[in-house]
Amino acid sequence: MTHGYTPAPKGEEPSRRRALGAGLGAGLVLGTAAVAPLVGAGPSSAATPEADRTKAQGGAAPAPAAEPKLTMHAIDTYRGATEAGLRCDLSYFEDGRYRLLDSFEAVAGGRTKDPLLRGDELKSGRYEITLHVAEYFAAIGARLPQPGFLEEVPIRFTVADARQHYHVAILFSPWNYSYYRGS
Amino acid sequence: MAGISTHVLDIANGRPGAGMRIDFSILEDGAYRLLKTVRSNAEGRTDEPILKPEEAKAGRYELLFHVDAYYEELHGTLPDAAFIDQVPVRFTVFDATQHFHVPMICTPWNCTTYRGS
Repeated sequence: MTHGYTPAPKGEEPSRRRALGAGLGAGLVLGTAAVAPLVGAGPSSAATPEADRTKAQGGAAPAPAAEPKLTMHAIDTYRGATEAGLRCDLSYFEDGRYRLLDSFEAVAGGRTKDPLLRGDELKSGRYEITLHVAEYFAAIGARLPQPGFLEEVPIRFTVADARQHYHVAILFSPWNYSYYRGS
Repeated sequence: MAGISTHVLDIANGRPGAGMRIDFSILEDGAYRLLKTVRSNAEGRTDEPILKPEEAKAGRYELLFHVDAYYEELHGTLPDAAFIDQVPVRFTVFDATQHFHVPMICTPWNCTTYRGS
């Protein structure tokens, strides 16, 4: 499966890997990676399934999570593969309510063409991604009760440290959904 | 049996999610109107059904699970990197003669819901 978002800048990643592998001081050679997160970026993060990372990286070593960004991957477990066109709304909690930042569509496979937010765009706080699942399942021709059990699914989560990469992994069907902080 | 029920499971600790605040609302005129606030009991269920059989009617509902407050109360503080805060589960009762069991399985980093039985 191809990545739905832009990987780390060319030429930078291998040197980071070597540096990490050699156990050199992070501040000397890693540049922006010096602010690499303590939680959620390394193998010590027990809550992020290794299987997901291995699949996403094609079995290679995990990329350094140096660039702050928000990414998502929504997997249609009803069909077994996510068709292009799942409509999503990204909101940020401010002044007592969720305010819409952007609306976008996932590409085939369930990722997005670009990160939802990157660099300074990512702020700590509470976010919501609303998935328009009823519309999606209608578009792929699923035969379901009308209206369906799930229609617009709000995925809410907290970004505690805006210097990190937050990957929101979502599994959905017409009857259930699950999400977690992936990598 | 018609109506709505729920069950909270704290799988970070391998036990029922006892004492979690749950706000139950109905969608009316484009906005969710709070019907009641309950707390899960020692089994992670609610003492009374969320919606009793005799009250069952088709419509769009929301169960708002206060997962963050649950873990905060349980541990005295939230884990620094907690990812899950409050989880609104919005669903449709498309046939009021059917029962809708909507569980919440959670940790501070993930959650799952589904139409159960």
